[in-house]
Amino acid sequence: MNEGKQRVLVVDDEPQLTRVLLRSLTTKGYEVRVAGDGEFALQTFHDWPPALVITDLAMPNMDGLELCRRLRQISQVPIIVLSVRGEEKTKVEALDAGADDYVTKPFGMDELLARIRATLRRQPETDAQTNLLSAGDFQIDLNAHLVTHKGNELHLTPKEFDLMVHFLRNAGRVLTHRALLGAVWGGDYTEQNEYLRVFIGQLRKKIESDPSKPRHILTEPWVGYRFHPE
Amino acid sequence: MTTESVYARKWFGFVAAILGIAAASGILKLLGDPINPTTVALAFLLLILFVATAWGSGPAIVASLFGVVCFNFFFLPPIGTLTISDPRNWIALVAFMITAIVVGQLSARVKRRAEEAESAKREVERLYYELQDSFERSSQAKALKQSERLKSALLDAVTHDLRTPLTSIKASATTLLAELNSNDSSNSELRLGDEGRKEMLQVIDEETDRLDHFVEGLTKLARIDAGELHPQRQWSSVPEIIAAAMKRAERRTRDHRLEIWIDDELPSVRVDEHAIAEVVYTLVDNAAKYSPADTTIRVAAVPGADSTVVITVEDHGPGITAELRERVFDKFFRAMRDGDVRHRKTAGTGMGLAIARGIVEAHDGRIWIEDADEQPGTKFVAQLPVGDDETGPLTISEKRRKAQA
Repeated sequence: MNEGKQRVLVVDDEPQLTRVLLRSLTTKGYEVRVAGDGEFALQTFHDWPPALVITDLAMPNMDGLELCRRLRQISQVPIIVLSVRGEEKTKVEALDAGADDYVTKPFGMDELLARIRATLRRQPETDAQTNLLSAGDFQIDLNAHLVTHKGNELHLTPKEFDLMVHFLRNAGRVLTHRALLGAVWGGDYTEQNEYLRVFIGQLRKKIESDPSKPRHILTEPWVGYRFHPE
Repeated sequence: MTTESVYARKWFGFVAAILGIAAASGILKLLGDPINPTTVALAFLLLILFVATAWGSGPAIVASLFGVVCFNFFFLPPIGTLTISDPRNWIALVAFMITAIVVGQLSARVKRRAEEAESAKREVERLYYELQDSFERSSQAKALKQSERLKSALLDAVTHDLRTPLTSIKASATTLLAELNSNDSSNSELRLGDEGRKEMLQVIDEETDRLDHFVEGLTKLARIDAGELHPQRQWSSVPEIIAAAMKRAERRTRDHRLEIWIDDELPSVRVDEHAIAEVVYTLVDNAAKYSPADTTIRVAAVPGADSTVVITVEDHGPGITAELRERVFDKFFRAMRDGDVRHRKTAGTGMGLAIARGIVEAHDGRIWIEDADEQPGTKFVAQLPVGDDETGPLTISEKRRKAQA
C-alpha cells in the first residue's frame, strides 16, 4: 500500500453483506465504497476509480454479468465475482465476460481477503524492450522462445509454450476453458475441453514437481484453470 | 361379427323367409275359406316387411317371390293351381308382387342405412376416445414436465434465499474469528474495535432471525401444500383481529398514514383468529413495503355478499399490473425481483402472500387484487365466509348488546 489506501468498490444488493464487507475491508486497510446495483456501480466507478471491483451476480436493474461487460469496455480493473453456489453457468459467463476471479457464497472472510490480495498483486511485468515476461518463479523470453522455472530451462512444444505465455500473462486469474482454448487454439475450438485437458496434463508433467498434486496449474472444477507462479 | 356368422345369418334369413310365408299360408288357410285376398296380401306384406328389416334384401326378395306363388296357388281362384281366371286378380297379383318387392327393398335399405349409421357412429366414438386419450396423455406429460421445472425453480429460489443470510453470517463470523486469531495487537489500526465487533454480532443476530423466519415460512408452506393446515375455528371479532395485526405491524407502518374503517353491522366470523391476523399483517406489511412513506394505507372490513366478511388493504404504491396480480400469490414470486416493479430495498421471502392465500383458502375464502379506489395503488381483498354453527353469527351491535346485558 505504497500509494496510500487501495480503493475497493463492493457491489451487492444485500445490505447486510455489504455492511459486513464495508466494515471488514475498511479494517484491513482498504478504502471501500458500496453500490447496490450495476447502474450505481458504474456511476461510482466513474467518479471514484477503484483498484478492484467485487460484485455479486444476481442484482436488480443491472446484474453482475452486465456490469463485467460494461466495465471491460472502459477499463482493465480487476473484478472478483461473488456467486451463490449452484450458479456455475453464470459464474463461467461472468469470467468469460471479463471477471478475473470468483468467490462462492457463503465464503470465509480469509478466503475473500486472500483473493483480493492475489488479484491486486497480479499484473505480470512485461519488459517491452527485451520482450521478457516474468511472474513468480517463471520467466519467458518471448523472442528466444525460452521458458525458465527457477532458472532451469523447460522444453515445451509450441502449443505448450503458447499456453504457458497465456498463463503467465494472466497469473493468479481464473481462466475458463473457453478463454484458454480461444487464446491458444483460436475461436473454432472453444468447445473442445478434452484438447485442453491433454495439454494441461503434459504441461503439468514438465513444470510441477508432483503432477498429481499440482501447485502451479490449479483446476477450478467445471470452470477452468488458475496459474500460480509461486 | 365374423364373416362366417354373417353367412349363417344370411342363410337363416332365406330359410326363415320361406318358412314364414309357408306358415302364414297355413294359418290363413286354417282360418277358413273363402278368405279375402286383400287380407292375405296385407298379411304377407307384413311378413315381408319383417323379413326385410330382420335379414335384409335377399331374404326379402325370396319371401316376396315365394309369397307371390303362395298367393296365387292357395288364395286366387282357381285355388290349387298357378293359373288365374279373373283378369282383375292378375292386377292384384302383379300389384302385390311389385308392392312386396318394393317394400322389401326399401325396408332393407333403411336397415342397411341404419347399420351404416350405427357403425359410422361407433367409428366416430372410437376416434373420439382415442383422441381424448392421447390428449390426456400429452397434457399429463406436459404437466409433469412443468411441475418438474417449477420444482427446480423453487429449489433454486429456496437455495438462494437460504444462502443469502448464511453468507452475511459466515462473513461476519469469520471476520470475528480472524481478529481473535491474530495476535497482532500492536497494529491497532487493523482491528475491528468494539463498534466493529458489535456490528458483526448484530448482523449475525439479525440474519439468524431472518433465516428462522424463512424456515418458519417454508414449514407453513409445506403444511399448506400437504393440506395439513387445519384452522382452529372459533367465533371471533374482526375488529380485534385487525387490531392485533396492526399492533404487530406497528414498526413496519411507522412511516405511513393508517386509516382503519370497520362497518358497524359487521358480523362475527368463525375463523382461526391467529391465522387471519397473520393474513392481515402480511397484507399491511406488504403495503408498507411497496408504497412510499407518508402515503396512506387503508384497512377496511365490511359485510360481503352471501354471508361473508370482506377485508381490504389498500396502498398507494406503484400498483401491480394486471398480469402479475395472480402471480404474486405464487410461492417465492417477488414482483420487485421477478416482475416489473422497479422498487428496491425490500427484502421479502416471497412466501407471505402464498401463505396468506393458503390460510384464506383453508377457510373456504378467496383473496385477490383489485385496482385501488384512488390510483395508483394496490387493493388486496380477502373474502371470508362468516361460518356457521347452531348459535349462528352475531353482528357486532348484537354482541355489544349481549355483553352489556
